[in-house]
Amino acid sequence: MEGRLANMWRLTVNESKFVETALQSELRVDGRGLYDYRKLTIKFGKEYGSSEVQLGQTHVMGFVTAQMVQPYKDRPNEGSLSIFTEFSPMADPSFEPGRPGESAVELGRIIDRGLRESRAVDTESLCILAGKMVWSVRIDLHILDNGGNLVDAANIAALAALMTFRRPDCTVGGENGQEVIIHPPEEREPLPLIIHHLPIAFTFGFFNKGNIVVMDPTYVEEAVMCGRMTVTVNANGDICAIQKPGEEGVNQSVILHCLRLASSRAAATTKIIREEVEAYNRERSLQKVKRHPTLAKSEVSGPTVAVKEEYRKSSDQEKAAEISREHVERLKLSPEELRSSKEQEATNFKGGPSNWDPYSEAMDVDSLKVSLASEGDSITKSSSKKKTNGSGNAQKDGGEISVEEVTGDLGKKDTKHKDGEMTLKDAVKPKKKRKNKT
Amino acid sequence: MVMRKLQLELPLNQTQKVRFKRAMERLQFLSSTTNNSVIVADSIHEDAFLLKGHGTSEVDGELMATVCGVVTHVDKLVYIRTLRARYKPEVKDIVVGRVIEVSKSCWRLELNSTKDGILKLSSMDNDVQRRKTYVDELNMRNIIVEDDVVCAEVGCIHRDGGLELRATSYKYGKLEKGQHLMVDPYLVKRSNIHFHYIESLGIDLIIGRNGFIWVGEHVQAQDHMILDDEMIKHTSLETRQSILRIGNAIRVLSNLGFTMTLEVIMETFNLSNAENIDVYDMLGSEFHVLVAENELERRIRRA
Amino acid sequence: MEYVNPEGLRLDGRRFNEMRQIVAEVGVVSKADGSAVFEMGNTKVIAAVYGPREIQNKSQQKKNDHAVVLCEYSMAQFSTGDRRRQKFDRRSTELSLVIRQTMEACILTELMPHSQIDIFLQVLQADGGTRSACINAATLALADAGIPMRDLAVSCSAGYLNSTPLLDLNYVEDSAGGADVTVGILPKLDKVTLLQMDAKLPMETFETVFALASEGCKAIAERIREVLQENTKQLEYRRAA
Repeated sequence: MEGRLANMWRLTVNESKFVETALQSELRVDGRGLYDYRKLTIKFGKEYGSSEVQLGQTHVMGFVTAQMVQPYKDRPNEGSLSIFTEFSPMADPSFEPGRPGESAVELGRIIDRGLRESRAVDTESLCILAGKMVWSVRIDLHILDNGGNLVDAANIAALAALMTFRRPDCTVGGENGQEVIIHPPEEREPLPLIIHHLPIAFTFGFFNKGNIVVMDPTYVEEAVMCGRMTVTVNANGDICAIQKPGEEGVNQSVILHCLRLASSRAAATTKIIREEVEAYNRERSLQKVKRHPTLAKSEVSGPTVAVKEEYRKSSDQEKAAEISREHVERLKLSPEELRSSKEQEATNFKGGPSNWDPYSEAMDVDSLKVSLASEGDSITKSSSKKKTNGSGNAQKDGGEISVEEVTGDLGKKDTKHKDGEMTLKDAVKPKKKRKNKT
Repeated sequence: MVMRKLQLELPLNQTQKVRFKRAMERLQFLSSTTNNSVIVADSIHEDAFLLKGHGTSEVDGELMATVCGVVTHVDKLVYIRTLRARYKPEVKDIVVGRVIEVSKSCWRLELNSTKDGILKLSSMDNDVQRRKTYVDELNMRNIIVEDDVVCAEVGCIHRDGGLELRATSYKYGKLEKGQHLMVDPYLVKRSNIHFHYIESLGIDLIIGRNGFIWVGEHVQAQDHMILDDEMIKHTSLETRQSILRIGNAIRVLSNLGFTMTLEVIMETFNLSNAENIDVYDMLGSEFHVLVAENELERRIRRA
Repeated sequence: MEYVNPEGLRLDGRRFNEMRQIVAEVGVVSKADGSAVFEMGNTKVIAAVYGPREIQNKSQQKKNDHAVVLCEYSMAQFSTGDRRRQKFDRRSTELSLVIRQTMEACILTELMPHSQIDIFLQVLQADGGTRSACINAATLALADAGIPMRDLAVSCSAGYLNSTPLLDLNYVEDSAGGADVTVGILPKLDKVTLLQMDAKLPMETFETVFALASEGCKAIAERIREVLQENTKQLEYRRAA
């Protein structure tokens, strides 16, 4: 308890006075206008239904999963939608692990109201067998960094994840029509959710006893403000939800002014989200088109498929190294190709930090080798692979472990994958060889 | 509403209801006709040059009440006297408190106020001025322990609200052999005497300004630092019954919302004796109605 | 299902702008510093206030020179038709936060530094509009406890069904899937503290519903003032000279 208090960041009197006086002259500490939003970036993950949103310094990830459950008794024909929030202590020292605190519960409920009660997601289409089986969609929101205005960012993350989520197709069949057959994604394309409209949340902060209104408050502004209000609107001009949880009283005119501001911005933000989702969907479909016939079961990008094939052919680690270098050169020669597959690289990475852009710094061959090698490994979807992938990337980010060791690790995995049986010798051998080479 | 509390605790039959209602109405009629009571966010009609005291706040040039109470003028000061609020300590008030914590060189007392009272070991002075040594600190628990009832005087009130108590004379200190009652602080008015010794019954009655009242067997004022090794004397049955009777009289008065003074308490006590009402029956509906009617008569007599 | 029949009567016979019957009592919990029972139709809520008293948990004190306000909202397990499974779920947590912040806005916490005010709210019967009833009960209890306040916080809810704005929804109307707008205002200062809305509404409709709810709040404020005035007068004349 004492530890939490010690960890809680408190605002100094000096800072709060500064923010307030600046606002009285309509200046915000980070130079924005009163109603300007910070930079919004939306990225997607490898799986269906995972998204990552960055709003300035605020960083939120959203994941959507679906499960077949029995429906509620009073709604036998409808699926369910539930939202879970995770305020991880890494986002803010004042968040405690374990049970969600008040603000976590409030955030979950605001987004829940915006999505579920405004019927943004069609729940009737989630019904499989009336009264017996329905899809239960679960949205998990993880707060990775608290830079202020978590509600807006989390809402966009939830929407982006929902729009890119695909649930398995299922048919009702069997003898008495009661059996449910779920079709794996290889057999039938998984289906998207039916989303009628996009409710977007806009948060306002009130200062100076409700006379000054600010949009998208930062962490510091949130500590200073005397009241806040979150308005969820959609592009059709409907108000989906409003949450003004007490605190400073404001005039009615101010509230209506905020509602109008939110309505006017809903269209623009909806457009941004839809564009990002469409871009992602386009790439996804491109990948499917490029699928190699012999590797029908997996979705892998073009250049890396070639790498894999070569791996299979040669059992020699040296050759593999050569080949990967060849590919590096090949790729180097076609920079346009590189850039187009940039997004793919980013999206195909699982477990890597989202800011890590393989082409941001001056490219070094070794790091590219690492990336290609790891892509090559993701043939099957075994979880252990993913873990090692993640650890490999994490290690790379640490920057401490040399690239050779990492490739050595991945090389180890290759041998494992190929032979199925491994000895300690195999583990040791490739490392030595690599060191000799470089 | 106290009336409703009564209805919850005591079922009044029809005649009792009628009598009670009549008594209350006449009491209301008797009380001052100028109605100064205000509630939150009522505006107070002020003249100029007035100091704004407790319970008032100025909003846009208008003086508004922030609590429910009665508007009182004292010279140029206008303030609102609250009714059902916690005790607001003033220096030199006599209070009765219950010990909730024994810490290094001080006791913490619960006083039905915003802050707990602190009784320092060094404020337990006697006529013999003696510096308290570490031996005294270790002996603290032998004198006063948690859950003891202690009588003290308000010493000083710090700016942040911290309350210091003093028990500098023999009449203060730990209270034994009696009953501790809690009433609303607004029922206890400030007066000269708070320590009452009822000789005929051999009973001590201490009416603390914070609404805590002590009724107990009379004990000679003595040095509370000296540990008493004698055998505790047995209190007689009569004294104990008298203590209970007075205790119940206070409870009835508190239920009805009448001010606590020695006079009123003794009248109620005598009334119960006169009507031959059993100690427990004093908390019944009939006695409540009787006390209400009696109070009415008493006020008529006084007016 | 028809919630408003062609003659304009609702399921319980009220008109669109009629509120349910209000019964309010003060001073019902003898142990508490202030307490109140507030009934709006079949919804019944009891509030108890303890304070200002010594702060129990030093780590909860965030602002040094202000009182700490703690609020706990819970629904009794017998308050709804079917017995409720858990007493404290996420809805209770959110409502505790919301009600606490609403009351904090109207209590003058600067006047009571280093102290704590506890507000306990228990829903005894739930028939729609429990959060409004809780705020009204809490206001009464705080006034009864003599805690200085800026203004009386009052709250009321309104909805939109069958193309009609309806004041003070009960449970059946609330669960119909239409909008539900809960408004909390400070009537004397004419400011809005609490505003919550769920389900979809176009902008213009929202303004109508909002205005209706504010009117309802003003009516409740009148009633609360009457109760407090009566109570204060009674206590004063009993206390006498």
